[in-house]
Amino acid sequence: MLALSVADLSVAYPGLAEPALDVAALDLGAGGCLAVTGASGSGKSTLVNMLTGLARPSGGRVAWGGVEISALGEAARDRWRAANVGLVMQDFHLFPGLSAVENVLLPARLARAASVAVRTRAHELLAEVGLSRPEQPVETLSRGEMQRVAVARAVLREPGVIVADEPTASLDAASGAAVADLLLSLAARLGSTLVLVSHDPRLIGRASRRVTLAGGRIVSDEGAAR
Amino acid sequence: MIRFILSDLRRMWAGALVVVLLVALAVALGVAVTLQERGLRLGSARAADKFDLIVGAAGGPTQLVLSSVFLQAAPLPLLPGETLQKLSSDPRVKWAAPIGFGDSVRDQPVVGTTTTLIAETAKGFADGRMFAQEDEAVAGAATDLAIGATVVPMHGLAGESTHQHADVRYRIVGKLKPTSTAWDRAILVPIQAVWHIHGLGEHDAHDEHDHHGFDADAALHEDWSDAELPGLPAILVKPKTIADAYKLRQDYRAAPTQAVFPAEVLTALYATMGDARAVLAAIAIGAQVLVAAALILVTVVHVGQRRRQIGALRAFGAPRGAVFALVWGELMALIGAGVALGYALGWGVSAALGAGFTAKNGVVLPVGFVPEDGIGVLALLGFAALLAAVPAWRAYAEPTVDALRA
Repeated sequence: MLALSVADLSVAYPGLAEPALDVAALDLGAGGCLAVTGASGSGKSTLVNMLTGLARPSGGRVAWGGVEISALGEAARDRWRAANVGLVMQDFHLFPGLSAVENVLLPARLARAASVAVRTRAHELLAEVGLSRPEQPVETLSRGEMQRVAVARAVLREPGVIVADEPTASLDAASGAAVADLLLSLAARLGSTLVLVSHDPRLIGRASRRVTLAGGRIVSDEGAAR
Repeated sequence: MIRFILSDLRRMWAGALVVVLLVALAVALGVAVTLQERGLRLGSARAADKFDLIVGAAGGPTQLVLSSVFLQAAPLPLLPGETLQKLSSDPRVKWAAPIGFGDSVRDQPVVGTTTTLIAETAKGFADGRMFAQEDEAVAGAATDLAIGATVVPMHGLAGESTHQHADVRYRIVGKLKPTSTAWDRAILVPIQAVWHIHGLGEHDAHDEHDHHGFDADAALHEDWSDAELPGLPAILVKPKTIADAYKLRQDYRAAPTQAVFPAEVLTALYATMGDARAVLAAIAIGAQVLVAAALILVTVVHVGQRRRQIGALRAFGAPRGAVFALVWGELMALIGAGVALGYALGWGVSAALGAGFTAKNGVVLPVGFVPEDGIGVLALLGFAALLAAVPAWRAYAEPTVDALRA
C-alpha cells in the first residue's frame, strides 16, 4: 500500500488559456479509498493519467509512497507503474485471441515475472472473480465477465495502488455492482490504495473519500477528515 | 510472447498473407533471375566442354558455335574439304572430325559425323552399338527413338524441312547415354551417308533428288587422306596440347577458314548477355525497392493498427524490450516466411523454365543454390531486421496516453 501526495499539480495544453488540471493539494493515506467524480471534461481522465504516470504534468508533483513519479522519465514511469499500479479501464483492453487466464498473465509474462506461484494465483483470482473457465477466449465472454478478467489482471501482482477509470460505465447495473464489490473487497484484502474515477453514484457512494472536479479544480472534498 | 504473436497473426491473417506473398514474389523474382542466369552459364559451359577447337568457313564465330555445339538450325557457309585432310594429318592434332548438318527427323537434327567424334565426346552407349555402315545411325539420349527404329530424314534443318529423302532409311543401332547437351536430341549418322545422300564427294553431277550415291550396305571409310572431300560446315578438332590448340587457332583463323574456342566465344556471348542480365537484375532490384517501400508502408500500418494494443501493453507495464520484441518478432516472422517462400518459388520457377529449355534444346540447365547464396539470404534478412526495427522502436516512441487513445 502506498500513500498519495499531490502538490501544485497543473496540466496545461498549448492553445488553451486555462489549465486542464489545477490541483493545489490532494493527499490520501496508504490503503485509503478515493472516488473522483465530475462532469465530462472536468479533468478526471487527466488526473488518472497523472496519478498513474501515464503522462507527465506541466508543473507540480505527484508522489506515491515517497516516490515522485512526476519527475521520472517515460521508461522509468512505465517500470514504476508495472511494479506498483493495477489498472482497470472502462473498455477493458483485453487481448482477443488469448484466453482469460492468458490475458490475466500477459503483463506478468512480458515482464518475465510469471512464476509458478503467479500462474497459480491467476487461476485462483479468476475463480474468485467468478470465472469458472479460465481457458475460455476473452472475445466470447460477456462484458461483465470481461471487466472481471481485467480486475483479476490488475490485482495479479498485488499492486500497492489500484486505479479504476470508469470501471462500471459500460456495464449493466448488476454487472457494475459485481465489479464494484470485487474492486473494494480485493483492495481491502490486499491493503491496496484504491482510486476510483467514476460518475456512477452507486460506486462513488461506497468510497470513504469523495472528490469532485470541475474545470480541472477540486470543488468538493468529502470525507477527508475521516 | 509467441502465443501473443500467433494469435495476433491469426486475427489479422489476411493482411499477414498479403505481406508474406508480397515479400515472396519480390524474392522469387530476384532468385529466379540469378538461378536462371547461373544455369544458362553452367549448362552451356558443360555443353561446350568437349568442344576444344572448331574450324569452320570464315564468318561469324557465334553462329559457328551455336550451330555446332548447340545444333542450332541455321545454314553455315562451307569450308574446303581439304581442310579436314590437312588437320587430320597435322602432328599437333589428336583427332579431327567433320560435322555435317542439313537433315532432320521430326525437329530432331540429323548430324553426320565420325565414329571417333562419338567415341570421344559421348559418355558411351546406354544400349546398342556404334554405326558401322551407311544406313546405320546412333540416337541421342533425349530422342524418341529406340534401337531397331527406322527413320526417314527430311532435307532441311530442324523446323524448316522441305522434302523427304524418300528412299533413304536409317536404322537406329545404338542409343547414347545422356550428356546434358544439345547433342542428346540429335540422330548421329555417318558423314559418308550424308555426303552420299546429297550426291557430294563424288565426281558425277550433283542431283539432290537422286540418291544413287547412298548405299545402305556400304562400309564406312573414315580415312580421307587421299579422297576428294566436299565442302564442310564445321570440323571439331582435338589438339594434343593447349599450346597446340593456340597454334592451330592462329593457323586457321584467316580466310577462307576460321578457328574458334567455343569457351571463348561463349564468354564473349555472356558479356553481351551480361547487359541483358544487368537489365533483368535492375528490374529485379526495382521490384525489390518497390516491395521494400510497400513493406515500410505495411509495417507502418501494422503498428498503426496496433497502437491501442501497444498502448495498453505499456499501460499494464510491459517493458520496452518486450514491446520491441513483440513488434519486431511479428514483422520478422512475416518477412522470414516470405523470404523462405520466395526462395522456394524462385527455385520452382527456375526449375520449370530450365526443364522447358531442356525439352526444347537438349541442354540441361543446372538449377541449384551455391553456398554464396546463403550470404544473400543473410543480407536480405539483415536488411529486414533493420527495417522491422524502425516500427518496433517507434512503437515505444509515443506517449502511452496517446497510444491508448488511438
